[in-house]
Order: sequence, then C-alpha cells, then structure tokens
Amino acid sequence: MLPNYLPRPPRGDRPLVVLGISDVVVIEGSPAVPVTMHHVSAWGRWVRDVAIPDDAAARVRRLADRYDVVWASEWGHNAHTAFAAALDLPEEPWPFLPVQFDKLDRIRAYAGDMPWAWIDGPVVDLHDPGDVTDGVLVRVDPGAGISGVDLDLLDARIAELSR
Amino acid sequence: MDTGTAYGLRPGSPLNELAQVGPGTPYGEVLRRYWQPVAKVEDATTRPISLKVLGEELILFRTRKGKPGLLHPRCIHRGASLFYGGVEEEGIRCCYHGWVFDTEGHCLEQPCEPEMGLHRDRVRQPWYPVQEQYGLIWAYMGPPEKKPLLPRYDTFENLADDEVLIVNDKGVGGGGPEVLDFNWLQHWENVMDPFHVPILHARFSGNQFTPEMALIPEVSYEYTPTGVRSIQMRELGDGRQLRRVTEVMFPNLRVVASPKLASGQTNMIGWVVPMDDTNFRIFTVARDSDPDFLLKLRSTHEGKPWKELTDLEHQRLPGDYEAQKSQGDISLHTEDHLTTTDQGIAMVRRMMAKQIRLVANGGDPAGVVFDEDSRVVRIEGGNYFEGAADAPLLAEAVED
Repeated sequence: MLPNYLPRPPRGDRPLVVLGISDVVVIEGSPAVPVTMHHVSAWGRWVRDVAIPDDAAARVRRLADRYDVVWASEWGHNAHTAFAAALDLPEEPWPFLPVQFDKLDRIRAYAGDMPWAWIDGPVVDLHDPGDVTDGVLVRVDPGAGISGVDLDLLDARIAELSR
Repeated sequence: MDTGTAYGLRPGSPLNELAQVGPGTPYGEVLRRYWQPVAKVEDATTRPISLKVLGEELILFRTRKGKPGLLHPRCIHRGASLFYGGVEEEGIRCCYHGWVFDTEGHCLEQPCEPEMGLHRDRVRQPWYPVQEQYGLIWAYMGPPEKKPLLPRYDTFENLADDEVLIVNDKGVGGGGPEVLDFNWLQHWENVMDPFHVPILHARFSGNQFTPEMALIPEVSYEYTPTGVRSIQMRELGDGRQLRRVTEVMFPNLRVVASPKLASGQTNMIGWVVPMDDTNFRIFTVARDSDPDFLLKLRSTHEGKPWKELTDLEHQRLPGDYEAQKSQGDISLHTEDHLTTTDQGIAMVRRMMAKQIRLVANGGDPAGVVFDEDSRVVRIEGGNYFEGAADAPLLAEAVED
C-alpha cells in the first residue's frame, strides 16, 4: 500500500468492484457510445468538461447494488465528489485508492481475501499485468467505457471467484 | 502505540516508462519522433563540441562551408573520438588516421588507404539530420522513415521591425543552474501545476513574480490535440480578471507566459531537453524588442539571483529548482499521493502513456507534422486581462 495512506477498509460482506475513471466513466477521444458533456469540479479548485456515457450512471448503480465499489484512479478522493451529480452517486463517498498506473498490487493489498474485479482502461498498464487468476480483470474499449462492459458476464465471473 | 512511523518504510520507484529517455526506452522513443533543439546556432563552429542528448553522446560541428553536422563520436574506423577531429571544407577529419566524414556521415577520404580508400563508400559514420531555425540547431534522432517536418510556431512568425528572436540555453524558467541535475519530467510536468505558484513562489519565497500571481486561481484543465492546457482565472478585485493560459505540448515543450504578466499571447516557448535520465537543459526562444528580455525574466529571491544564494538562503527561499531537485534525481513516482491539485500532472502522465503506446504500435505521437499546410503551430498560452480596461495592476512587478 502507499506509505502513509490508509484507505477506508472494505465493508467485507460483498465482493469488490474497483473502478478506474478515465476511459471507464470518462470517454476521451471519439466516443463509440452516446455521451453527454458534464462540467465536473474538484471542490471548486479546478473544473473539467468531460464526456460521460449516457448509461454510465445506471451501470455504476447496478454495480453498487451488488458489490462494494472502490475508485482506483489519479482523481483521488475527487473521484466520488466530482462525479456525484453526473453519476447520481450516494452522498457517502466510496473508498478510493489514489493510484494512476500499474494498480494491481494496490488492489490486491486492499482486497485481501475478498473477491474482486477491476474495470479500467488499457493505458493504466505500463506493465502487462499478465494472467490474473485471483480476480477479474476487465479492460474496456476506451471509446465505450463502462457502457461496453458485459455486466452479466462480470457477475458470472465474480460468482466463480467467490466459490 | 505510535502509528504511521517510518520504521520499515519501503521506498517506491520511478515510473521509468515515463522518465527514462535513452534509446529503446518507452518515452525515449517518443522523444525521438520529434525534432529536438540541441544547441544554439552559434555553438556549431569549426571547433567540434561534445553534446549529450537523450542519453546519446554526439559531436556537433560546422564545416568551413557553413554546414552543421551531428555525428556519433566514435570514428567507425577504430573508435577514436571525433571531438579531436579537424573540421574542413566538406566535413570532419578524424585525428587518428585521417578519415573524413561529411555532415551525413559519408566517408570522403581514407588517406592511408590505397586510392584514398577503395571502399570508403561502403562505410558510414552514424549521424543525425540537423536543421537551423529560430537561432537553434535542431536534431532528429528517430527512425528515418518517420522523420516529420520541423514545425514553426506562430509566436515567432512575422516579427515587427524592432523585434528580435532571443535564444537562451541557460535554464530560464527552471531556476537553478544551467544544466539542471535531475530528471526532466519533474520540471516539465510542473508546468501543469498552477497550485504551487501561490505557495512556493509567494508564501515561501516572497512574491517572486507579481502580487496577482500570489492569488490562488480557479483552474480548468483540458486535453488539446498536442498536449494539456490549464486556464487559470484570477479575480483581481478591481473589476478585472486575469485569464492565464499555460500549456505543455508534446513531447517536451513548455508554454508558460511571462510571470511578470505581460499581456497577450506568450512571446516565448521553452523546450525541456534531457541530456540523460538525470540531467537536462531548457532551450528558450522569445521574441521581444529588448535583447535582454530573457535574462531579465530570471527569478530572484529577495532580489538576489539564484546562483548568489547561500545554502541557508536556498533553504529559506526555495524555488522551482529546490522543490523539483529535492524530489530526487528521478522522483519515486509510485509513492505519489495524487490528489486535488495534481489533476494537471495526472493528465500529462496519462497522455504520455498514450503516446508510448501509439509509438510502440507504429503510430505517430501527438503533434508531429508531416503536412506543409500544418507546419505553423498555433500557441494559445498567454496572459489575457479581461474586464475593466483601465484598472492598474495590484502593484508594480517585482524588480530584479
């Protein structure tokens, strides 16, 4: 884990779904799915106009209904607050891991014995994560983000882990 | 029981994929896809000089006919350095056995060989193409089949009669020594960190720039086709707003308008050119009617130039050099706790990772120009005052 950073521990009663932001919730470049531009802010310190898939809020909600969602991105704690309105997120922020690249070790350390899945874009892999058998690794199409993830298949793969 | 102590602390590591610049390194291959400034035009003379660029040792010279050349230093005969060579009309003659190479590495003579070298056309001294523009020598060190055009920048076009282009290779904008002795990325990504300005350059060091720059800005970030841009809005309290636009353009340009807040489009651009993984130079070009413009822009600390500070003053009045150098020879990026004020830096790193993938997959990175119609690049950076036109600045700019 990052020295001197202690993330809020997982609830421990449900599998984890770890979400990146860029390429997952935010589409950079040409979108392959319908998107809407949102003006997001980090406590007023800065703003960005970002393209978010129109069904991202519903998909994130579906994940949150079944799993503990953890943000893992360079957005830090702003991952939840910046996207709260656009994704209709609950007021209580979800835990976050402030890491931008090669996140696998941090995710494993955070998850411990919990089953986990990690959804992210390919750019975050400065090193090939290789074959991952202790979790579910989902790499999105950057043009579609979370909209392109087969959530039923994800459920099945997570259930397989939990056995 | 105490918690969070340093006992057992395991240090992190650099993101070498982003930081390293040598041949075959991921971002080194990105850097090589662009023309890089390597010297001032006047540094290319009939006396060869050694350069180190992107981890490669090179020899720069100018033939007696005026053509600059950039060659690999080890003579292809038996490795003597061309640093000791004699420059002639058409090229450089190795000191050891007199082989002559032109500016493209063709061997013109092998004087100790029969008929001046029956097979001299079958050997080639490794070389890099060079061009001269804006008072700088530019080198292309990438794959020959991918060589782009050397771009022009609208900032430096159409000079007024009283304007000149001013070139500086002594680290303007970096603070510190002429050769900056830490990894180049720590400086370049700092361009996208406007939040350090009111802290490092005001609260800690006293107003190094102007009082306006001490105001914490509201910032917006955006990707551009060629890099990352931040737009910093400052309410000046007199009905005016300052919209300051700062850019990084790939692979290593810094577009930072004068911190003394000259109004309008920036008149200068800097290139952060690594010598190797732990040393870099900054080449800056500016347009102005004052040939000393760049010299006058150097930061001072309570009125003193950086090189005159005592060790105690360096500690008490840190600037960019102290902050960035102290991150390490190459910062341990995996230890970074990226948070609210690091969005710009995160965007730069992310775009770097994308260029690495593009280049590795045979594509062209952001901003390389092959089309003559696209050769002149538009620069958006600058200081734009909006609102009440006649209100004065908060105070006179800090004097050198």
